[in-house]
Amino acid sequence: MPHSKQQFTKLLRVGELLYLLLVGLSFSLLFLSRTDEAHTVWEVLNTAFIPTLFAATSLLLAILLASEKVNYKLLFIIVHSILMHSFFSVVFPAGDLSGQQMYLGRIRLVYDSVIFHGWPSNPLETVQSQIYAWFNGINFQAALSVVFARMFSMDFLAVHLFLVPVLWGIFTPIPAYLITYTFTQNEKAAVLASLLLSAFPYATYFGAISVPNSLGYIFFFYSLYFMLKNLDSNDSKTTFLILAFSFFSLLSHYLTGIMSFSLLFLALTFKSYKAEKSSPTTAKISLVTSFILSASLLPLSLIYLRFFRPVTQTVFTLDKFYELPPEEIVGLTLIGELTYAFDLKTILLIIIGPTLALLWMTYQLYRFKRNPTANHQTSLYFLFAAFLIMLIDYRILKLFMEGLPLNEERLWVFRDFIAAPFVALAVYSVVSSLRNFLRAKSPSTITVAGLKKSPKSIVLRGLSLLLALNILIPLLLGGWIIFSLSAAYPQVAPLQTTGYELEAVRYIEENTREKYVVIGDIWTIFAGEVIVGISNPRAYYFDEYNKTGHDLFVNMRQNPSPQWMLLAMNYTDTSVAFFIVTEPRLGAEEFNSVVSRGLQNEQLTVAGVFGAGKLYVFSYRKG
Amino acid sequence: MKTSYGFDKIEQRITHDERMLFTLGSYIVVIIILINLSEFQSPMLGLPASTIYFLINGIFLGHAFFKKEDAFFRLIFGTLLLIMLLGFIGLLAIIIYNLDVTRFTLVLFITATLSSLINRRMKSKNAT
Repeated sequence: MPHSKQQFTKLLRVGELLYLLLVGLSFSLLFLSRTDEAHTVWEVLNTAFIPTLFAATSLLLAILLASEKVNYKLLFIIVHSILMHSFFSVVFPAGDLSGQQMYLGRIRLVYDSVIFHGWPSNPLETVQSQIYAWFNGINFQAALSVVFARMFSMDFLAVHLFLVPVLWGIFTPIPAYLITYTFTQNEKAAVLASLLLSAFPYATYFGAISVPNSLGYIFFFYSLYFMLKNLDSNDSKTTFLILAFSFFSLLSHYLTGIMSFSLLFLALTFKSYKAEKSSPTTAKISLVTSFILSASLLPLSLIYLRFFRPVTQTVFTLDKFYELPPEEIVGLTLIGELTYAFDLKTILLIIIGPTLALLWMTYQLYRFKRNPTANHQTSLYFLFAAFLIMLIDYRILKLFMEGLPLNEERLWVFRDFIAAPFVALAVYSVVSSLRNFLRAKSPSTITVAGLKKSPKSIVLRGLSLLLALNILIPLLLGGWIIFSLSAAYPQVAPLQTTGYELEAVRYIEENTREKYVVIGDIWTIFAGEVIVGISNPRAYYFDEYNKTGHDLFVNMRQNPSPQWMLLAMNYTDTSVAFFIVTEPRLGAEEFNSVVSRGLQNEQLTVAGVFGAGKLYVFSYRKG
Repeated sequence: MKTSYGFDKIEQRITHDERMLFTLGSYIVVIIILINLSEFQSPMLGLPASTIYFLINGIFLGHAFFKKEDAFFRLIFGTLLLIMLLGFIGLLAIIIYNLDVTRFTLVLFITATLSSLINRRMKSKNAT
């Protein structure tokens, strides 16, 4: 091995070791940031965490741009990706206060064998609704969470919280790499793509919360890769894998499933277009037709979703055009939801990646026009069409539909998955242009002796380009990824489930032998479903939308008396009732007033005080 | 590279499991997981046992479907397929009744058996 190469390898190993130290330190600092009471992760992150993460990310980027085995690079990216998607799960005691807690409330019932035949616990009216409910993402996620928790013998809450961050961290960088590699055969650009996926805030957010939709995104990404692979092969295994991943994508969430199948339809048409030799006009017409059909599949499916989910009442409408001012319509068309209430920095962070990707794709298509025999044209056309479908579908959902069962911004994750490889290619082409320039203008090997002999201008140019390549570009990209985290993890949020709320729920569960019901606000319900599940007949917490539960809490708040607790016990067939009241949720004044009235009522017992007096649990027993 | 050579060797041994020793090993791991679950409930035992289960069956599936890929990707793909299989069979168990400890153990046994059978079937298919 030449001496310079040996030196480089040594330097690379030192860099890798330093990276591992930095990433280890980042994990430790993240764990040190764990708190019992916070609204957002930004409030409580250790001050050294972001600088350390920035240094680790920049160093990783420098390693990715160097010559190293792809497997090692991907392993580093996987570790990094797990770290960047674990903020909620590490920092908050019960993860992010969002859909994931509601899912946990239901999945917990499966884990504790409280319900049979999956969620929902009661049979549904129609056969198709029942089949839909059985094969709904919630039951699939329940299966995964329960299997893992039992296999590892670990706390169910921890397994649920880390399920998606870990699976996302391990499995999403791989298709990003493979998709990019499939149509570029460029390893460095491909590894860059798998890391730059973290520069897309929506993708990062969905990778950080444990909901079935996030699982669906993972399977969608793999189905996309195999679709791309299938364009150039006739292997039956690839076809089987496309179908398998699309099926699992549908099993996890209808949105990801529908998108997988619409792109599958498009991919098949592209494949037949590629094979078509005799009649190119017919092939082109079928391509356009299938593009329109693929783009229509999602909006139409959402309309017909009511067949399986009667609560969904999605309709096509032009109401927004009549109701909204023209500038708002233009804003919604151009940047969608970002037109409301977001600051410029967030808008930029969310649109910069997709815009760069769109520009790069357009440039590549322009180059193909001039060179019709170029390789991997079909792959690029297919990805461009898929990207356009995401853009069009988002606008259809946003402007022409109402009563959607989900927010339209979830489509941005698909868009980001397709955009990441092109952003990486754009970045990599800048890097390689710089490198070529450096090679052309500098002596082939830079040594101290060589530098002394070379003219000053060449030395300066060489050194500044070397600096740009190995330091400036990793720093810039690292900065972009870290800044994106500020848009991925919310800056404003309600108070997350606190440690003492969980402690109170656990205390009740561990110290009550009889069947019991808990009256509390929505935040108490969230805490309850994390530990015992929702509407558990043995440990009853009313579900989030239950009006009776809400009314009972309002009545207890106004007049803490056994009357309402008895009512709750009769309603839920339990023999003990608890009433939980929390200071940060009610405000100090109302909290103090409710607590003092509760203490004055001799029939109520104080079952526990938690969080240094911030949470009171009152109890009342039947008879 | 020594590591990759080492992993290749392990993979080769597992996939050429003529006497089904690794399938048997997988069953033993399931029994260990079951004993841990009912007696000790310790992640110190659960985690390594699960890792062995994932390694054996992930390699079976990775080898069956991604023989032409690099060993690293084979392992990743195989593990993902195994997770999908576990999830699907677990889902069926939930729909049929529930996923208590007994049915969970059955899910692990069925998944291990299926992985081994798929590996054998693909191996004989590739040989012909």
